[in-house]
Amino acid sequence: MSLSTMLTSMGAGMLRSCLIFFLTLLFSLPLGMGVMFLRRSRIAVVQWITKIYIAIMRGTPLMLQLLMWYFGPYYIFGWSIRGYRFTAIILGFSMNYAAYFAEIYRGGIEAIPKGQYEAAEVLGYSKVQTFFKIILPQVIKTILPSITNEIITLVKDTSLAFTLAYNEMFSLAKQIAASQTSFMPFIIAGIFYFIANYVVAFVMERIEKAMNYYN
Amino acid sequence: MKKNLALLLTAVLTAAAIAGCGSAAPTQGAPAPEAKEEAAEPAEEAKEEAAEEAPAEESTGAYVFLDEDLGVESYAIGFRKGDDELAEQVSGAVKALVANGTYAEIGEKYPDIKDYLCLDAADIDTASLPEEGSGDSSYTFKHGFDLDYPPYSYLQDDGTVGGFDVELCQAVCEYLGWGYEAVPFNWDAKDMELNAGSCDCIWSGFTKEGREDDYTWGLTYSNNTQGILVAADSGIKTLADLEGKIVGVQTATSAYDMLEDSQADLAATFSELRVYETYTIAFNDLKAGAIDAIAIDMTAGSFLIAGENK
Repeated sequence: MSLSTMLTSMGAGMLRSCLIFFLTLLFSLPLGMGVMFLRRSRIAVVQWITKIYIAIMRGTPLMLQLLMWYFGPYYIFGWSIRGYRFTAIILGFSMNYAAYFAEIYRGGIEAIPKGQYEAAEVLGYSKVQTFFKIILPQVIKTILPSITNEIITLVKDTSLAFTLAYNEMFSLAKQIAASQTSFMPFIIAGIFYFIANYVVAFVMERIEKAMNYYN
Repeated sequence: MKKNLALLLTAVLTAAAIAGCGSAAPTQGAPAPEAKEEAAEPAEEAKEEAAEEAPAEESTGAYVFLDEDLGVESYAIGFRKGDDELAEQVSGAVKALVANGTYAEIGEKYPDIKDYLCLDAADIDTASLPEEGSGDSSYTFKHGFDLDYPPYSYLQDDGTVGGFDVELCQAVCEYLGWGYEAVPFNWDAKDMELNAGSCDCIWSGFTKEGREDDYTWGLTYSNNTQGILVAADSGIKTLADLEGKIVGVQTATSAYDMLEDSQADLAATFSELRVYETYTIAFNDLKAGAIDAIAIDMTAGSFLIAGENK
């Protein structure tokens, strides 16, 4: 098998990996925000439930969670899971990453001194205005490096989708490596992950610079 | 206000997630798991009775192999290219174990494999075999295998490493006077493990066909047939019935290679060939009705069926 054939067959897998990556970010970034608000809720029960959710999401392997999301509906309710595979993968990834993002957001928000809220109140800002105009821009600035870390982990975690027989790039690399008794596919896979993460780091650095308006 | 916003956000996202599931997982046609044990739909039943001479046999197991198979393969011991002397020594010891009955004795313990063992004591020429204890007693033979390949090599019920290949290899080491070291590896990395010297052989239901030039081959000690495993009530009776169906297979197995190569025309009739990391997950998908059939070798497939009936 020539290098170009290898690249072509792995190319389809790269697209699938990217699809998981973008859809997960699309759902988990805002979902994490929602989880964070619930986690900070003044209603004890809500806060408690959210804490359990975060504990489970962070405390068990993502691979296991994917299996639960996919096979759960069948084993628990006896539902048909035909055609549900991709939804389960995105659901599993999004719910897992939302828990991590929620904690990152919370860290950012709790780092804002109380004086900021008081000053906003004095200036006549409503609670919503205070949050979106004063607090959130500062939070985003502080949490960006942690978010970058998490996104880079996500790029590499996409390979876990093969647990549910979804042929993303790394599983194709393994299949080609086995059939060709060659190490080359792994090197290609490594280069792909490296470039993808380099792009992530580059974009995030750009955003950080853009947010760095006080210097 | 923040609280309301949070509730709104979560509600919207949950709704989106549910909508996503709903469209992808039709609940109306969902076959309940008990449906498999019960009789098939009346129309299907009539069709099955017409096609099947013994419908009573159907109820004995929920999963069956099709009568037609995909092809036969032989299992042999793979050594590093050039390790001719080691290959010969181990093969000789296996022959000696066939001659003294140990091979058949181990086979008795694995009913799924027994019928596929291809060596017979009567055919062995005992003249040129290595003698018992003739090996270097300071040498440790490193047996490389996949720990996820029952019944050839797998984690036994008591948590120890076992399987037909493992026991046979241990018997070979014992016969020659060598030490035995188990090297369970990730099947995808088998070539790297072998070439890096972390094991001396690949011996775990290792198919020779298609790999003839990649290794120095020891003795072929077992045959196997690749077949199609389906739910007994699926209505699939022949390979032709697989047209438009979803078929699952494990990555880097000979069933997968056959469907890519000698049986590529058959694979082209499937609506989808789904590649799994392990047969365990594929079998779960078959049970859940997410796929229609699994391409798997007879011994591993029988093992899965037996586990289901346990």
